[in-house]
Amino acid sequence: MEHRTLARRTMLSAGALTAGLAIAPAQAQAARVRTVRKFVAVKYTYNAQTGVTRVTKHKVKQVTAKFVGKKVFEKRHGAWVRTPYLWDETKRALVYSRKLHLKLLGASGKRHVAPEPATPTPTPPGQTPSPPPQNPGDPTVVAVSPYSAANATHHVLNRVGYGVSPQGLRDVAEVGGARAWLRRQLQPDSIDDSSCDAYLQRLPDQADEIWQVEDDLRNDKREGWRQLMWVNTGMIVRASWSRRQLLASLEEFWANHFNVTVPSDGVAASRAHYQWTIRKHALGRFEDLLVAVSTHPAMLTYLNNRESDDEHPNENQGRELLELHTVGLEAGYTEEDVLNSARILTGLSVDGESEEFEYKPWRHWAGGVRVLGFSHSNATRAGGLEVFRAYAHYLATHPSTARRICSKLARRFVSDTPSAGYVDALVAVYQNTDGNVSALLEHVFGTDEFWSSAGGKTRRPFDAYIAALRRLGITPGDGIDGWEDITWITDGLGQSPFGAPYPTGWPDAPQAWTSPVWTLNRWNATLGLADSGSNVDQPDLLEYVFAGTLPATYGEAIDRIGLQLFGLQPAASHKQALLAFLGKSANSPANANSAIYGWRLPYVVALLLDSPYLLAR
Amino acid sequence: MNGCAECQAMSRRGFLGVLGAAAATPLLATQVGWAAPGYTGDVLVVLSFRGGFDGLSAVPPVGDPNYQTLRPSIAVPVNRTVPLDSMFGLNVALNGLKPLWDAGDLAVVTACGMSSPNRSHFSAMDEIERAAPGSGVRTGWLDRTLGSWNATGAFDGVQIGWGGMPMAFSGPFDELGFGRLDDFALSGAWNAAERDKWVGALTTLHDAAPTHVKGPALTTLGALTTAAALGSYTPAVPYPDSDLGRSLQEAAHIIKAGIGVRVVTIDEGDWDMHAGLGRPESGGWMFDKLRDVGDSIGAFFADLGSAAQGVTLVTLSEFGRRVEENDSGGVDHGWGNVMFVAGGNVNGGEVHGTWLGLNDQGMYDGDVKATTDYRAVLADILANRCDAGDDVLQSVFPGFTGAHLGVTNP
Repeated sequence: MEHRTLARRTMLSAGALTAGLAIAPAQAQAARVRTVRKFVAVKYTYNAQTGVTRVTKHKVKQVTAKFVGKKVFEKRHGAWVRTPYLWDETKRALVYSRKLHLKLLGASGKRHVAPEPATPTPTPPGQTPSPPPQNPGDPTVVAVSPYSAANATHHVLNRVGYGVSPQGLRDVAEVGGARAWLRRQLQPDSIDDSSCDAYLQRLPDQADEIWQVEDDLRNDKREGWRQLMWVNTGMIVRASWSRRQLLASLEEFWANHFNVTVPSDGVAASRAHYQWTIRKHALGRFEDLLVAVSTHPAMLTYLNNRESDDEHPNENQGRELLELHTVGLEAGYTEEDVLNSARILTGLSVDGESEEFEYKPWRHWAGGVRVLGFSHSNATRAGGLEVFRAYAHYLATHPSTARRICSKLARRFVSDTPSAGYVDALVAVYQNTDGNVSALLEHVFGTDEFWSSAGGKTRRPFDAYIAALRRLGITPGDGIDGWEDITWITDGLGQSPFGAPYPTGWPDAPQAWTSPVWTLNRWNATLGLADSGSNVDQPDLLEYVFAGTLPATYGEAIDRIGLQLFGLQPAASHKQALLAFLGKSANSPANANSAIYGWRLPYVVALLLDSPYLLAR
Repeated sequence: MNGCAECQAMSRRGFLGVLGAAAATPLLATQVGWAAPGYTGDVLVVLSFRGGFDGLSAVPPVGDPNYQTLRPSIAVPVNRTVPLDSMFGLNVALNGLKPLWDAGDLAVVTACGMSSPNRSHFSAMDEIERAAPGSGVRTGWLDRTLGSWNATGAFDGVQIGWGGMPMAFSGPFDELGFGRLDDFALSGAWNAAERDKWVGALTTLHDAAPTHVKGPALTTLGALTTAAALGSYTPAVPYPDSDLGRSLQEAAHIIKAGIGVRVVTIDEGDWDMHAGLGRPESGGWMFDKLRDVGDSIGAFFADLGSAAQGVTLVTLSEFGRRVEENDSGGVDHGWGNVMFVAGGNVNGGEVHGTWLGLNDQGMYDGDVKATTDYRAVLADILANRCDAGDDVLQSVFPGFTGAHLGVTNP
């Protein structure tokens, strides 16, 4: 964006008025014939007072045109005929101008041979399609919220990922639409994420082996609290800038389901590795994920299993394994079951020197065990790990587990209140695919409920902040200071990624996030983002929103802000509210010196980002 | 800062830095409904000493034969205490509390704490604030208290200062929190006119939103308007120029403003004195902190004036400290501790609790044994001063059947 501005300025200063066609001044009036894109106007509005044409729907065509100065001609019946289109440098295409059209009609007195564009009917706010236009292969999206555009591209970026961003829009366009993008997201390895990987390199050695981190902590080469903080920071970086958006969403989802609070005691060495472990299994088989997290030093420490032994089995992990991670209270397990669950887990421990997993047979409780429908002779102390694997298999394949996991996924990606039938269908997929998460999501992405619910869910504080960051096109900047600031900010929003202080993790239900204080903090933090108060990189807001063409009225400016940020014009009452905020009316003239294009712009942008236009997903 | 690594990690976690306002963690839990037509009880002010407050330095058992022996270099000498009774003195640093003691508005509870020792910061704070040991309850006791009142005001539960939201506020109730009242404001609105514009715009922008989005937004805007209307405050007496002093001043401000405040929490950290506790004079770590506490609480009640009849303040800490000093002139994590209870309707001027002495009866594994469960103190306050019936107490302190301590008057 920046170098386009430079290029344009160079053109203008060189005196060429051909707006970017790179014609040397001496040849300014010579004719050039080129094949270019033309945005054929399908629907438009025109403000006679300001002379501003607003094309709200167009088709893209490749045409051969002749350029003579600013005038554009196309071949009609063998003759070059002047068309009411002008070259737009930013769009790099021919764009319709009604004003020119009227002028041409008036000047020549003849009806122009180019077909009259369709008479515009005012499109109801909230339903104006947004650029980029809907991809032909994509399902029709139904928006259930007046704050959301019915647009497949926006919907998948908002619902499956962390929100619309310039990179996200490019990614969807590149692969040919929302459905194709979802298919790719299910295969994260097929997506080149090297730029985000490079950013993550700035967080020193988060991906190292646990023993190495522990060694460094003991030798004061790393700080424990910082090592933990960067687990949250890493998630923020991935949510904001990874192209593997689904994987990032699932990483967050599973790390909350299998919560190990950041920060908590004793996990400084292992907590980053825990995230890596979760990413590794996030789209795979639930059972593999369950085994991997249950035997991970971070979990064994957090839920005290490392201390558990045959004399005093510690029930914490044994209980949460049943209550939170798998079957849930609804399976009706008893306290005896919990004790046996704890007994099975005895021996799963951590080596005190390296902080790596160690199975300690001397801690294992041997003897017959029974938990719900699972039983095992568990005859030897040495064989405890095998017993656990069999137990984990039982739990992972238990219908209650299937139901709980499928319900949670449905709530996260489809609706706050998925129907029983919807969950039933997902459970069937779970059972048929041996609990394969990728298969579950593929099923979800093929359901009507997924596509006909745009805007039906509400962003939680973390989601909202990251969505705002992405929506503003913010990029990482240099170093990590800005990222650490953001990490603190998410704490103040009430939702640092893994800061839920209990093993339950953060709740998904929107009713849990009603605190006025988070609301205020989010509003203030969002203004900070919009007002370039952050320590990361962001494009110039004026450029970003208006791309060089400033609408001539306040009303149109606000429409454009809505379109650029959310793919739709704000509803009438909302537009009026923003105009009132600015002390203007819809027809108030706006030029480059107006407040809306200057110091007031971040405020208007922030207000919209504070509103349900951003919160709806 | 000093203190063990765990304590450092905690205080960084609590530090918000960029944003001034904080809120409690969200949990969906069943609330006990108890409809109070209009609250007429006391404002409960909970002052939490983070890091492990050393009660034996604040209220030294100068009458105990073993006190000086076990703390040869850091025991508070008798002449640096104000006598409370035949056993205990008040560290002279806490002289600011003397007027309250003399007026019968300050009670001291010795040898109190959790029912079994827990010497880990994170874990002990979690347990003490959850106040539901041996159960699966995951909310905080103050959140349950606020929920039991079925209160609906934005200012019913308020956290003031930089300590971050306490775990006692964890749960479904929406408490408020800010570093300073001034922080509870829209950063984009530099005056009243701008604020009105923001409030107007945000109100309308939410007009078509679902209830769970619109409600909090409107409540927030209402609270912002209320906060802005409070204006500036001139206290009746000067407060110490410290974080604690300013936080208590803000507490007095909002309590007297009559905006429906029922619970205020304030954290005062940096009590984890493993080393260099210091001499009982100016410049000593413990001395300086105690002086701040005494002067701030003293100023708070003097400033409240007659309003003190409707306020009860209680201090809490996750654990006390070991009886015997260590090699670094400090003391390590312990168990039994001291709690202060102050207010207009307190059985003050006396030391409550059961003191068995610094001996085999009164000590466990080198720590003061807690002979009074801290919940007995809190339950007493809630029952006598905060209109809480037995059913409410059962939901706030599930499974607690101990007698109330009798430290306040109904």
